[in-house]
Parts: sequence; C-alpha cells; structure tokens
Amino acid sequence: MQPGTLSTFLKRGAIWGFIVLELIFFTVAGEFLSVSDKAFMDVDNMLLLFKQSAPIGIIAMGMTIVMINGNIDLSVGATYALCAIVLLDSMTWPMFAGLGDWVIPVSWLLALATGVALGALNGLIVWKTGVDAFIVTLGSMLGYRGLVFMYNGEQPTSHLNWTLVDFAEAQFLGLHTPTWFLLGVTVAIWFLMNRTVHGRNAYAIGNNREAAVNAGIRVGPHMMINFMIIGCLAALSAVVFYSESGSVNPNDGELYELWVITAVVLGGTKLTGGAGSIISTFGGVVAIQLLRKGLAHIGADTSTVNLVIGLILIAVLFLDRQLNVKGKEELKV
Amino acid sequence: MDYRNALAATTAAAALTIGSTAFADTMTIGITQNNVGVDSYQTTYEQAFIEAAEANDNVEAVVLDAGGDVARQIAQMEDLIQQEVDAIIIWPTNGEAVIPAVRKAHQAGIPVIVTNSNIAEQGFDFVASFSGPDNITQGKRSAEIMCDKFKDMGIEDEAKVVHITGQPGYTTAIERAKGFDDRLPEICPNVEQIDKQPGDWNREKSQKVMEAFLVKYDDIDGVYAGDDNMGVGALNAAKAAGREGIIFVGATNFAVGYEAMERGEYWGSIYQSPVDDAKAALQTAVDVLEGEDVPFLNYFDTPKITQENMDEFDKPVF
Repeated sequence: MQPGTLSTFLKRGAIWGFIVLELIFFTVAGEFLSVSDKAFMDVDNMLLLFKQSAPIGIIAMGMTIVMINGNIDLSVGATYALCAIVLLDSMTWPMFAGLGDWVIPVSWLLALATGVALGALNGLIVWKTGVDAFIVTLGSMLGYRGLVFMYNGEQPTSHLNWTLVDFAEAQFLGLHTPTWFLLGVTVAIWFLMNRTVHGRNAYAIGNNREAAVNAGIRVGPHMMINFMIIGCLAALSAVVFYSESGSVNPNDGELYELWVITAVVLGGTKLTGGAGSIISTFGGVVAIQLLRKGLAHIGADTSTVNLVIGLILIAVLFLDRQLNVKGKEELKV
Repeated sequence: MDYRNALAATTAAAALTIGSTAFADTMTIGITQNNVGVDSYQTTYEQAFIEAAEANDNVEAVVLDAGGDVARQIAQMEDLIQQEVDAIIIWPTNGEAVIPAVRKAHQAGIPVIVTNSNIAEQGFDFVASFSGPDNITQGKRSAEIMCDKFKDMGIEDEAKVVHITGQPGYTTAIERAKGFDDRLPEICPNVEQIDKQPGDWNREKSQKVMEAFLVKYDDIDGVYAGDDNMGVGALNAAKAAGREGIIFVGATNFAVGYEAMERGEYWGSIYQSPVDDAKAALQTAVDVLEGEDVPFLNYFDTPKITQENMDEFDKPVF
C-alpha cells in the first residue's frame, strides 16, 4: 500500500461515513424519541432532504471553486437577498406589464445578471487591488446588505405568482424542482473542475499562486471568473428558493455564508486552497441538512442543532489535521 | 354464555373502547415559531406553549423554531406535513413567503392555525383559524382608558390629544390607530385629536415626534402611542421639556411602560401576555381538531391596565 493511501481514503470517505452514521442514529433514535409514526428514512423525507439542501447547496458548489482557488466569498448571503429582491420586484415593473407570465424568465435572467455583476465587482477588486478576498468580501457583505435595506427599508419585498409557485413545487421523476437545480449545478461544476483547463488552473492557483503565475496562468482574470460563478450561483439559489416563496425579508440570507463555508469545509476542502472536491461538498451539504432534519425529528431545539454542527465542524478540522500530519510522517520513512 | 365469559367479553369490549377513544383523542400538533430567543416575549411564549401542551394529556407537541429564517420555516412546514401531524401552528417569519407552504399543508388536509401575527390575505383560504390579539379592540380600549381618565379629571369637553402610530404599512399599526380613531369620538365627542404622526415602533423616533408636538402645541392633555415603547419615548420628551399633567396611554404593556406606571408618570396601556397568546394558539388548534366551530379570527383577551389596577398584573418580561 502506498504511504498515505489510508489517510486519503479516510479523508475522501469520511463525509459519506458520517452521513451513514447520521442516518443510522436518527433512524434508531427516531423510533424512541419522535412523536411521528413515520420512519426517518421514509422515501418522501429523503426527497425533501435534497430539496431543502438546495439553497445552501447551490451556493456551496461555487464556494468550493473559490476556496480551492485560495479565496473566500463572505458576500453570498447578501448577494442572495439582493438577487431575490430583483427577481420579485422586476415581476411588477410596469415595463414588463405586457409580458404576462413571460415575465418569469425575464426576471430570472435579471436576477442572475445581478448576481454575476455583484460577483464580478468582488472579483475585480480582489484582482486589481490585491487585497485579501476575506477583507474585500467582508466589505461587500456589509455593502450589499446595505443596498438590500435601502431598497425597501425594513419591509419585505413581495410578489406571489402562482404559476411560478406551481413550477417550483413541481416534482419531475419524483424529484422536486430545486433538487434538479442542485443536481444540475453539481454536475456542471464537477465537469468544470475535473474536465476543463479552467478547473485544473483553479487547483494550481490554490496550491501555489506564484508557481501558477510563473506557469503563465492569468491569475487575476481567473479569480474574477470564479467570483462571477459564485455570484451567479448565489443568484440561482435565490431564484430557485424565491420562485417558491414569493417574499423576501431584508435579513434573508444572513449567515448563509457561514453555513455554506461549513458545508464546504465538512466536505474536506482546505481553507488554504489547492484541495477540495465537488462531490464531497455535496456530501457536506447533505450532512448538514440531515443533521438539522434529524435533530428536529427527534425533538431537539434549534440551539442544539447549531451546537452539534459547531462541534462536528471542529472535530472534522482536527481529524483532517491529524490525517495530514500522519501522511507526511509516513512519506519520510 | 357463562358468567366468566361474559365478564371477559365485557372487559375486552371496555378496554377496546377506552383504547380506541384514547387513540382518537391523542393529537399531534406541530408548531413552527418565528424566532425564539430574539426577545423575551417569544421566549416566554415557547415556554408557555410547551407547558400547556404537557398539561394536556391528549396533545403531543412537536415544537420547532425557524430562527427568523424563512427557508428554515418552510422546510419545517414540509417536515411537519411529511410527518403527518394532525395540525400545524405557524408564527410566520414573513406573512407572504409562507403562503405556498401553508397551501401545501392545506392541500395535504392538515389544518393550519396562524398565531400572533396573521399571514397576508392571499393565504386566508388555506388557514383554519388565526389566534392572536385583536388590534382594533386594543385601539378602542386605549381610547376608553383615555376618555375615562379625562372624565375623572373633568376635562372631557376641552381636552386635546396627539397620536403617535406604529410603522406605516404594518397591519398592527393600522388597526390600532383605526380602533382608537373610531372609538374616541364615540365616547368623548368633545375631545379633539389635534395631530397624528408615525413613530415607527421606535422610542427615539417617537421622542422626536413628541418634541415637535410640544413645540407646535401649547396645550396637550393626552398622548396615545401605538405601543409602550413609543409611549415612553413621548413621555421622555415631555419630561425633558418640563411639561406636566399630560395623560400617556399606550398599548402592548412593556416593562418600561409598567415601570413608568409605577412611578406615576404613565397612565395606562393594554396588557398582552405571551402566556395567553401561546395558550390561545394551542387551544385553537385543539378546538379545530375536535371539530368545534372556531371563528376565523380567534382573538384572545388583552385587558386594560392602568395605574389603578396594575397590581393585578405581573410586570411584563419584555
């Protein structure tokens, strides 16, 4: 066996092992603690799990690229809220009044364009100023949230379109509309990261930025594109979610950046960049939603859920560190 | 049939009856709350709800909290529908965003009870009942408190009143203002409302509004504010300006309002208890499930509180 094979396997497989563990635990505990007669592993419940993972999951795919790049984007929650406002408000703009229900695709495109533009702004600042992405997006997180509040004050922005709701609630081949979007995004980003030059470059830049520059990779534009991708995905997440709910509070999407980063880190992506996997991020997203659902199923309250997720995140990071140390030691032999 | 057999049969039948009624009477009620822990009203509400559910042997409660997150609340609605609970109580995080989720429950044949603050009118068709405070009556009662005090003081024919409303556009603000504006001329026809401005539920904003009123009007006998928070703001403005003898009446008695009443600076308010709110929500759900005729707007009582009867009430926790 090659040195480090076991630890690599553990790192790759850890999230799936964790998911299996959660399923077993909640199934058994649910038998005793849940007041519901339905089993936790009920098919409908598992389908809902994927659907409910979509808002965080779609953004997490973008965050994985950005983090593999060695950057981070804290503004996704605010971008999400701002795009939701554009989506819902544009449906009532008088200039689209003649479109009837054809206003829906127009509003979708407008929301996605807003997301891309906000992401591009982040990317441009990171590229041209060289300021750390953490600081830049911390600023834009506050700035974009400010725009959200400027738009409609403390009031929610609402537009309920039943055609849209029916579309968003539909189930095709048993899967809900948001699930299809989540799966589609996962496949697309997986392809991007594993089968294209852009994806290879993302890993190269995250591993060693200087070496990437020397190898002739145009690091600045590359990062800007990745910020545009995550902006677009934050917008897509808003499009998918608000098509179904039709009203956005000005504080919606707050803390989403943290849940997204948690999911990505649970999936094994390194905060320092250069390593990470889209499929494992998918696992991380599912693991978090499973935990939320499972703890609610056995009757734990929200604060317990947050506490448990926090503890698990720390445990995962610790485990990851230990495994890496071991891998290095074995290489020396 | 000999005696023993008959006895066995009767016992079995009795056991069966008891068993089946007990089964039919056990109701699983799910609640998804807005944001427990954000203020003590909501925290007290949750505790009271859990206590009330435990006190009722026929109720099993699934108590969830959305943490102010609409997405999480919708997911909780879906989970409750999937678990096939008998009824769902929802404290909306957003009166419009939850309508599709409420419709889903309605389509699944699960009655939905909205608690504390109602959802938007588009969703009324999917709701079994709303349990919460009656804001119009609260406004009316505030008018009555004000008028009664003026009559005691013997100034009911000359008194002048200013009115500070809540945030424009909020149903609670609109309804309370309407109740007050309608009731005051009925009982004190000669009392004049000289001005009305929004205080946005905000103490500082309300204080500024009152400062402007004090400059503008030399004679103010009464102030009605849409809640005690704003009422105390107005009181602070009057104290700073050295104007005395003004009668302050609010609504939703806050701890600050209660304390100002103890000091004798603030006359009265409307007492709205989170415990009553929670109990009313659970009772509404139980009544709906038992097939009783429940009004669509099922209000719980929010009594008048003044300096005279305040010792009958506990100090509000919020």
